[in-house]
Amino acid sequence: MSLYLRTGNKYNLSHIYNFCRYCTTSEVITQNDQAIVEDDSLAREAEIQQKRNKSGLTKAHFNLVNGRRPYEVPKALAHLTVKYSRKMYGQYGSASGINPSLCWPSMSDIQEAKEYETVAFPYTIKEMMEQVAKQREEKKLKILQRDAEVAAKFEKLEQWKKELNDKINKKCEETRAAKEKKERLVEEVRRHFGFKLDPRDERFQEMLAKREKEQKKLEKQARKEAREKQLIAKLQQKSAEIADKS
Amino acid sequence: MVVINMVPVTRFRSAPNFMRLGYETGNLLIYVFLTNRTTKASCKDVNTQKFPLLQLQVMLETNRIDSKQPIDLCTLCNTGLVSIKPASMEFGFQLTDEGADKFKSKICIEVQHAKESVIAAIERNGGIIRTAYYDPRSLHVIKNPEKWFEKGVPIPKRLLPPQDAIGYYTSAENRGYLADPEEISKHRLVLAQKYGYDLPKIEDDPDYEMLTSMKDARQLFYGLEPGWVISLKDQTIIKPKECTQ
Repeated sequence: MSLYLRTGNKYNLSHIYNFCRYCTTSEVITQNDQAIVEDDSLAREAEIQQKRNKSGLTKAHFNLVNGRRPYEVPKALAHLTVKYSRKMYGQYGSASGINPSLCWPSMSDIQEAKEYETVAFPYTIKEMMEQVAKQREEKKLKILQRDAEVAAKFEKLEQWKKELNDKINKKCEETRAAKEKKERLVEEVRRHFGFKLDPRDERFQEMLAKREKEQKKLEKQARKEAREKQLIAKLQQKSAEIADKS
Repeated sequence: MVVINMVPVTRFRSAPNFMRLGYETGNLLIYVFLTNRTTKASCKDVNTQKFPLLQLQVMLETNRIDSKQPIDLCTLCNTGLVSIKPASMEFGFQLTDEGADKFKSKICIEVQHAKESVIAAIERNGGIIRTAYYDPRSLHVIKNPEKWFEKGVPIPKRLLPPQDAIGYYTSAENRGYLADPEEISKHRLVLAQKYGYDLPKIEDDPDYEMLTSMKDARQLFYGLEPGWVISLKDQTIIKPKECTQ
């Protein structure tokens, strides 16, 4: 049986009377007839003690100084909270007059805590260890795979390099060939004209076009001849093979 | 985050007197705040407080710490010379190998992180070292037990390490508290061979009981179980009848 003050620090004196009912303290000793006789002497003792107390401290402070709990009677809303009661028990033990069962959480609290734990810590140690092992394996695997990949590519590296260089060279060659051809044609046309003619001149251009055409024709012829030769060579080879077989 | 604003402090309409660079009117300075901070429990090197073996040796010899009792974070904090700031994301103590060669005490110690050389130094002298994890709430409990017991709350149970730290505490190489004890004894031998010393036999040791006293994974204090309420004034332990945690 414990109280939960949901509102934080909003102390309102009207609340005090509502909550007084739920405070769990030790039973108050009921005064019976036998005690009345002693009551007088007790009262006198109390009076004497009061007169002896010249410290000028407040009651609470005086209690604190003498190692007792400061407030026997609740004076503020905070004094009625479970937290305060627990603190009093922790500091003053059984002398605080508080039922120790207050120190433990209530059943609803325990249920809440259990629920929280199932959500916050869903995995057992074994599961977590497995996860760690799995992560480690994955890492290793990743590295191995990457290594294999790189090794495979490394083998092809030389070939790629060669290919790239060939490509570049070919391009260079082509441009160079084209340039040379152009130069040659221009030179031929110049020679044809005999005198220094601006290459941009019309006549030059006509001559150039004519020469290019002739050149193309020649090339075509050359290619045709080359193909014919190849064909003949192939046929010869084939016939030679047949002759060998038979 | 506080905005760093250079405000000229003018008092007598004289030339403005700017505050020094980075000053935030008393807040924790940004260039201090941002160094070496990590919330990851796994970054043990960064978020544990360095505790050199040399200092430990000095403490043992000057009787600040009793070598006849198992040593853990509680003991170290109780000396009053070192403390932990759990709120600053510190997870405990880390034994460093400064003074590892001069270390010559036989102790049973439990820290949060220890290098291999440190483990070797302690085991060489016949001691036992373990690395254990305390979650931040448990750290608050353990670093000042008196203050905690005065709250009148039952001892909480220690939580397990988070995912990123569990690898460390379940491995026998680090002498983790969750590791297999057989693996640990195997690794003791391995370490002895690696560092070149004879592994002393703990079983023959007269202090065997003390040396092998280990806390359970959920325990915070030696000999005290979670769920108990301690009353220091009455010197009593109050145990709940039914299981509460």
